[in-house]
Amino acid sequence: MKTPVFGAFKRPHDDKTILGPMQRISVKDMHRFRESEAVDYCIVGVGSAGGVLCQRLAKSGFNVVGLEAGPFWDTERDWVSDEKGSHKLYWTDLRITGGKDPLAFGENNSGKGVGGGSVHWAAFAPRFHPSDFRVYTEDGVGADWPISYDDLKPYYELLEREIPVAGPAYFPWGDPHGYPYGPHPLGGIGDVLMKGCTKLGIPVVAGGPVAILSASRGDRPHCIYRGFCIQGCKVGAKASTLITHVPEALRCGAEIRDLSMAFRISMEDKKRVNGVFYYDQEGHEHFQRAKAVIVAGYAIETPRLLLNSACPGHERGLANSSDTVGRYLMAQAGNVVLGRFAELIRPYKAPPAHALTEHFYETDPGRGFARGFAIQTVAPLPIAFAKQMMKAKGAWGWGMRRVMMDYNHWATLGVLGEILPWADNRVQLADEKDQFGIPIANVTFSLHDNDKKMIEFGKKTVMEVMWAAGAEEVVQESRYAHLVGAARMGNDPSTSVVDKFGRTHDVSNLFVCDGSILPTQGSANPGLTIQSLAARTADYLISQGEKIFTSEERDMTAPPIRRNLAVEGAFIHGVPRVWN
Amino acid sequence: MIKAEESAGSWVRDPKTGRVIAPKQQPGYYPGYSTLGQKAYWDAKTREVVEDRVYNIPPIRFFTEEEALTMEAVCNRIVPQDDRTPDRKIPIVPFIDERLFKNETDGYRFADMPSDRDAYRLGMRAIDETARTIHGVPFVDLDSLKQDFILKSLHDGKKLAANAIWEKMSIKRFWHLLVTDSVGVYYAHPWAWDEIGYGGPAYPRGYTRLEGGQPEPWEVDEQPYEWEAPPNSISDIYEPGPGAGSVSGQGATH
Repeated sequence: MKTPVFGAFKRPHDDKTILGPMQRISVKDMHRFRESEAVDYCIVGVGSAGGVLCQRLAKSGFNVVGLEAGPFWDTERDWVSDEKGSHKLYWTDLRITGGKDPLAFGENNSGKGVGGGSVHWAAFAPRFHPSDFRVYTEDGVGADWPISYDDLKPYYELLEREIPVAGPAYFPWGDPHGYPYGPHPLGGIGDVLMKGCTKLGIPVVAGGPVAILSASRGDRPHCIYRGFCIQGCKVGAKASTLITHVPEALRCGAEIRDLSMAFRISMEDKKRVNGVFYYDQEGHEHFQRAKAVIVAGYAIETPRLLLNSACPGHERGLANSSDTVGRYLMAQAGNVVLGRFAELIRPYKAPPAHALTEHFYETDPGRGFARGFAIQTVAPLPIAFAKQMMKAKGAWGWGMRRVMMDYNHWATLGVLGEILPWADNRVQLADEKDQFGIPIANVTFSLHDNDKKMIEFGKKTVMEVMWAAGAEEVVQESRYAHLVGAARMGNDPSTSVVDKFGRTHDVSNLFVCDGSILPTQGSANPGLTIQSLAARTADYLISQGEKIFTSEERDMTAPPIRRNLAVEGAFIHGVPRVWN
Repeated sequence: MIKAEESAGSWVRDPKTGRVIAPKQQPGYYPGYSTLGQKAYWDAKTREVVEDRVYNIPPIRFFTEEEALTMEAVCNRIVPQDDRTPDRKIPIVPFIDERLFKNETDGYRFADMPSDRDAYRLGMRAIDETARTIHGVPFVDLDSLKQDFILKSLHDGKKLAANAIWEKMSIKRFWHLLVTDSVGVYYAHPWAWDEIGYGGPAYPRGYTRLEGGQPEPWEVDEQPYEWEAPPNSISDIYEPGPGAGSVSGQGATH
């Protein structure tokens, strides 16, 4: 083999697990807990939230076991720079999807393996706006959060430095702020967004906010602009909890047990849980004893596990006395607008996520619907683009071959719109079972009037931006992005599943911490918010100490933020200090 | 193999002169471009996965012989390759067969659909039954144009025949499944990447020229040419089918 002209990262050849070319950790040296030993916390799901929880709790001295249904990735050996070859990153176990506007799962929004969805997210990392936390009060729709933006703000600031986020020095929307790492250079699609927005007088930012390194940090190199973010970043430039939080979690003594599929949370008595039943890869049943359990399985698997854990005293499923588990499931409108340009775009270069506008984020009474949407760059690789052309243009046969020969002339922009929480959009159990014999999720999803109006307006606006940028043809495909809700937090135990710290109203040592606790979703990608909520829940649990394991008392005092628990390197030289 | 008498009707043409354009090893606007030629610069695992796709064509294990023949005829129309020389046609059916044989799915099934495996068996039966009902011969024995008309009816969501089978699943969703799987195989192949000028695997090297559609040092400039689809086809048109856009699906976005 020839030597690459620009040089190459070295191939690994030792027994360590490789997390990018420069980062390696040893799973062999990982602490192992005995199943009969009651660990402090058993965390189900090591994704965006689970990774942060494992790291924070282990760093504070708790005994932590994370159960992850998928594998512990060795990124250099497991991942490929190839669209089709990346299928294994996604949750592809069967789910049934129905309703008037059924959701797609798998590669669209569900990850499997240590790091979870953060392995294949595009890594847009905007904060939610202050208005997102009081949607019901301001607009009379959706729900209010039991916390305010100010409660979460210190955690946004902290996580933006931990993972970290690159973006403009000044981000003008919501609570204006700046980013610690510099913005990324624009690709052809970012150029199109800038051009179209500028022509129409729409403010727009470029180069972020994305959780992708624009400068190397520690053992992580910066981005090489190869455009395979969604296929898993082999470089280690894009943040995933696999590379940001899991290494430190293991160093601090956490155990992450991969290929472990939880199927039932076990009750000690009617009031307290005492562990988690799970299957290993061969289908053998295991039981991990724990003093407290945190479910972090995301918006489908979390309600599925709670519902599958029904038992005497909790016949409708655990933590479901309110009949809210599984309800208020949300996805964001993710319509993709595709524009054909006379000049070449080469859409596969640069991270798909690299420029956006939140100009249309807030409610505007003149538009005739509540809440709004963002416009973001997206970048389908050839297979995804072909599927979009099938739907947007009805392409097949020679028409498909023709439009695909034009792939390099197309730019794509995404609507990211706020669909409101509705009780009838929900996760239930199907009669069918998965490969382990566990009842699978049956998901119902339908758009409501406000959602439809928002989508129409959003898609029309993005099409105008595309035309303004100089496109000679503009088409669009309807789809959704992200999944949140289905175990929402709230102050009222009769209308929500967990309190403002993620503790279930029904069971004092059972917590939920992932995207499923979001009462509303804004028009911001949820990853940063999920991780910030996880860091906050961890601070609460640390403040409560042993009380979580022994007492029914619910202390609703907010914990102090523990910045010293941030991953090592979060405050290296040159990172500005913005908080008071 | 293309029968000699059919070949003229199945070749693409130059719209100005009306002359046939003979099949090429590499159709598309990037002559001389080869992603596989860059494989020395790919990481080892990616090279292994992509080369396996090119050089190890899986055997047919899921479809019956008859189903496989019908699938072959169907995929030849969904992704026609008459502009490719026989040695450079991209196999599609073996990879769909492999997916179904291993029961690898996208992670969901629409409530109004059977499993992917059942959907394919039903779909092949429906397509063949439609050919027999209308033309009195199996689908594989129809000429390309007649095959296109039957497939166009699936695209349009119209039942020409086989109503009993279409009762069991959504014709629209089956069409999407079929096209999605077919293009998913074709555009996963490095020869298809060469055809469309896609950069292909890019680790650990990365890209250096991000803006303005500029080629990397190893990419080539676009050299477009006019072509029209062969006269024995009706698929070179764009008509969004019923419910286009109402099914959501792929990743690769936000």
